[in-house]
Amino acid sequence: MNEHQTRVMGEPSQLPRLTRFLRDFWVTAALPPEAAHPFEVALEEVFMNVATHGAPAGRPAQVAVSLRRDGEELTLQIEDDGPAFDPLTLPTPNVYARLEERRIGGLGVHLVRQLMDAVSYERDGACNRLRLRKRVARTDAAGVAGTDRNRVG
Amino acid sequence: MNFRVERLGSVTVVVAAGRLDFSAAAGFQSEVEKLSGTADGTTVLVIDCAELEYVASAGLRVFLLAARICQRDGRYFAACALQHAVREVFELSGFGRIIPLHPDRDAALSAAQSRPA
Repeated sequence: MNEHQTRVMGEPSQLPRLTRFLRDFWVTAALPPEAAHPFEVALEEVFMNVATHGAPAGRPAQVAVSLRRDGEELTLQIEDDGPAFDPLTLPTPNVYARLEERRIGGLGVHLVRQLMDAVSYERDGACNRLRLRKRVARTDAAGVAGTDRNRVG
Repeated sequence: MNFRVERLGSVTVVVAAGRLDFSAAAGFQSEVEKLSGTADGTTVLVIDCAELEYVASAGLRVFLLAARICQRDGRYFAACALQHAVREVFELSGFGRIIPLHPDRDAALSAAQSRPA
């Protein structure tokens, strides 16, 4: 099992740090570069929700992010100490609406649901915990680390 | 991310490159808003995504705003040459239904020329 963790303040300026964290994990775990995009999008959407809406009174939230690989399944977990909020309760945006009626609100969570295989939320004491899972094919059928170790998509 | 603007007569092409994440979206949005709202004779605005590697919902907002401004002003707006991962985000968001997505710049320009006046 392969697990990496990091902690950041829940502020928009911290997004590049999280992106680097994810990319470093990708290289270390020798995952296929083209499979990184859905996880990068999911991480941005969840983190930015916390950073812009999820702060406790008077200070930014503390955010803990972990990535774990079990065989071909990757789990991205994002925890924050903001007020209890389950983003999975947000209404699904109408992706069939006409141009003039389209809204961006709710689109981030919709993307997370669509891009991941499984998404779950739990409130644990003072902590919101969102767990995202998706199967990531290895770079070869034998499950041996691929040759493109230094490439991240 | 980086972007550059190419003008070919009444056609304006914005070539977007790199990562259009939350941090990049505000700068790109103000440039695209300026271009799509300028009365400079532009009748066609195309965002060329051949070099765009990443987009999330903050980036999609820029495309939505540009499409709205162009629709309001009677200009043709499209995106072209989306990489696979970027196209997936557009499709999952339903943006492929509200913004014409063309395989390359030539296809976008020829669709713009053949549209009803």
